[in-house]
Amino acid sequence: MASSCSLRHNVCKSSRILRIHLQKSWPNRSFALNSAADQQPAVSSPEEIVIPRKKTWSKEAVLQALASTVKRDPTASDSRFQDDPYLTPKTSSEFKLFSLSQESGRNAAKYFINTYPKYFQKDYAQPHIPCLMPETLEAQIEEASEAALIERIRMRRVKAAVDLYDQLLQAGTSVSLNVTNQLLDLICFCGDHDLARENVPEQRNEETVGWSHHKTMFKIGCLFLFFPLRENNNAERIFALLSEPNTHSYSALIRGMVKYGAYSKAFSTYTDMLNNRLKADVHTFNALITAAPEVKEKYNEKWELIVDLLKQMAEQKVKPNLLTLNAVLKALRHCGTLGKSQAFPVISEMKALSIDPSLASYNHLLAIFYKTGAPIQGQTDILQEVMNEVSGKSFTAQDPDDGICISLQRLLCIYPIQNNGLKVYIFFMSSSTDIKQLGHANRQNLVEELLTLMAREKHNQEVQESFAECALDIKKIYDTGDRGKVLLSWTAGSLSDLISVLLAAHRRQDAWEMLKLFKTHNRVPSEELLNKFLTCVKEAGEVNQAVELVQISAGFCLPETPKLIQRVQQEFELTEGPKNADELKATSKKPGLPYHLSSATN
Amino acid sequence: IVSSQLFPAACFRNIHCTAACLKNRAARIRVGKGDKSVTYEQAYHPHHIGHRKGWLSQHTSNLQGEDGAAERVVEDVFIRRFMYGTFHGCLADEVVIKRRGNLLVICAVMIQKLLPSKFYFLIGYTEELLSHFYKCPVKIEMQTVEEKVVYKYL
Repeated sequence: MASSCSLRHNVCKSSRILRIHLQKSWPNRSFALNSAADQQPAVSSPEEIVIPRKKTWSKEAVLQALASTVKRDPTASDSRFQDDPYLTPKTSSEFKLFSLSQESGRNAAKYFINTYPKYFQKDYAQPHIPCLMPETLEAQIEEASEAALIERIRMRRVKAAVDLYDQLLQAGTSVSLNVTNQLLDLICFCGDHDLARENVPEQRNEETVGWSHHKTMFKIGCLFLFFPLRENNNAERIFALLSEPNTHSYSALIRGMVKYGAYSKAFSTYTDMLNNRLKADVHTFNALITAAPEVKEKYNEKWELIVDLLKQMAEQKVKPNLLTLNAVLKALRHCGTLGKSQAFPVISEMKALSIDPSLASYNHLLAIFYKTGAPIQGQTDILQEVMNEVSGKSFTAQDPDDGICISLQRLLCIYPIQNNGLKVYIFFMSSSTDIKQLGHANRQNLVEELLTLMAREKHNQEVQESFAECALDIKKIYDTGDRGKVLLSWTAGSLSDLISVLLAAHRRQDAWEMLKLFKTHNRVPSEELLNKFLTCVKEAGEVNQAVELVQISAGFCLPETPKLIQRVQQEFELTEGPKNADELKATSKKPGLPYHLSSATN
Repeated sequence: IVSSQLFPAACFRNIHCTAACLKNRAARIRVGKGDKSVTYEQAYHPHHIGHRKGWLSQHTSNLQGEDGAAERVVEDVFIRRFMYGTFHGCLADEVVIKRRGNLLVICAVMIQKLLPSKFYFLIGYTEELLSHFYKCPVKIEMQTVEEKVVYKYL
């Protein structure tokens, strides 16, 4: 009963409220009396009503609209990694470790796929995807014929090729000289063993720094001492089977011998060749020149041998090429002081034959003159001359020894010893290649060394300016990276050096922005950097920046924060008086600081 | 298959002989003493699929006019066994398999039993092997938890 009463009360109340509301709005609405006919038509504006064109959408419009809602997530880690906190790399070493382990997992899978290809033959894909099939390393042509031999040579399967060759000879089929020469080339290049495929984790990413390159793997392969014995057996044996070896065969044999360390044999083969009245080609001579320092002991004997070879080259009317020049220069490295005296004449003669020196030549040249650790007296000129030659030219890689990195590193070694080289060096950097093009593993070290050297000493204004430009370029390299790839990672040292360079050139604004990078990249600035910064700020008289600097320092909980605070309090007039002083006090009271230090500042 | 002739008028009756597959016992964990922990996936029975559970395998071959459903099932079975064996002891829950166009996405929740580098090794291995096996790109999306997520105890 009570509930129905209250219900009735509620209904009455609500209907009363409704009536009140309606009465309120009634004067404004008079819908009962008007009819549609009485209503005035809408006021027509004097302009024409323009009917818009029908909009047509392209076929991808929906997709584009959807795509515009999705942006790249800047906080996400690289797309290679799983999106999980446990599995996200937090340091650069973890980054490398995870990408390397993923790579090695892939290689393990590839091993299985290539070892048991019969399980992976079923082809579901329409159209066919060739990269997802197991690698067919089996030769197609089975019967013993020359074509089969050519195929195996092309697939670089040394053992199979040699076996097939023997088979062919035993069966009585003659193999043409051309093909035999190709086989000899293959053996002498590969050193009589199949190029190892399975055990080398390939370096597919540029970031997997520090992993072995193909090059180093190959070098290790070359250093195997037992290989030359086997190699020479096969190569020599096949060579002996040739009824009429020609220049090409001799050339291949000699080059192979030199490559695998059988130097004296190479020379005896060369003598054989001369006895057979055959002319050597330029590649043979290059190989022999490379081998010359190894067969003689004394410097002058080595040099005489090289000169002898060059004379024979002239007699046989074989034109030397760039590789000849580089081989001679490389050999001169082992000739001591004789090398220094002979290097320039060699270069001038080569220039007379219109052979331009390449980066490798300059590299060897510097190596001849600047032995690491030797005292440098009066050698500045050579460096400067080289710099003058090198600047303004662009280099293409023509020699396996070419490599800007190598020459730059050599320059950096010479660097600490002499100062005048500095200007020339910067000239070199700014006028020739871009550091960005260094796709080399040592790039990080190189750049860091460069920064340290630039920051080390104080120089005159224009040099500092050029340093600053260089530094900003370097900064760009650190920052840019397509698709978030980490090209170079900042270290505390490199950041500090860069900021010092910028400060020395009075580029305070740039330096200020760089300081912020410390926080973003989780690096801690050093005391000396902050002091330098403070001095610079003081010269400019910016009090606010000084206070901010102190706050940054406190944010890193650096132990020298109180000293900085004292400096600021003494050196700056806190004209905006209470505000700055308070801020300073607040900074000093921050919980991060050890309490006795904070009490000291008060 | 046994055929018997009841009448000479070519009437055959076949008997299907397999092991007993009871439809009302599949994918159900029966209530027990209360010491067995079950995950959400295990706790709900197959008739809850679509109501309280999602699907573990998502592809379009069950739509009208699409074929290949049986092949997808066989692939799924293989993939689940493969994942169970490769990441042995690490799976916290059933593997979810999604197919988008050509791409095969395997979503797994793992227990943090191995080091991340070991996980990445296995991920690289699985992706590569399954890509070559099924001739389509295979991606793994992995999430880790510290322990198996218990929904209730049965």
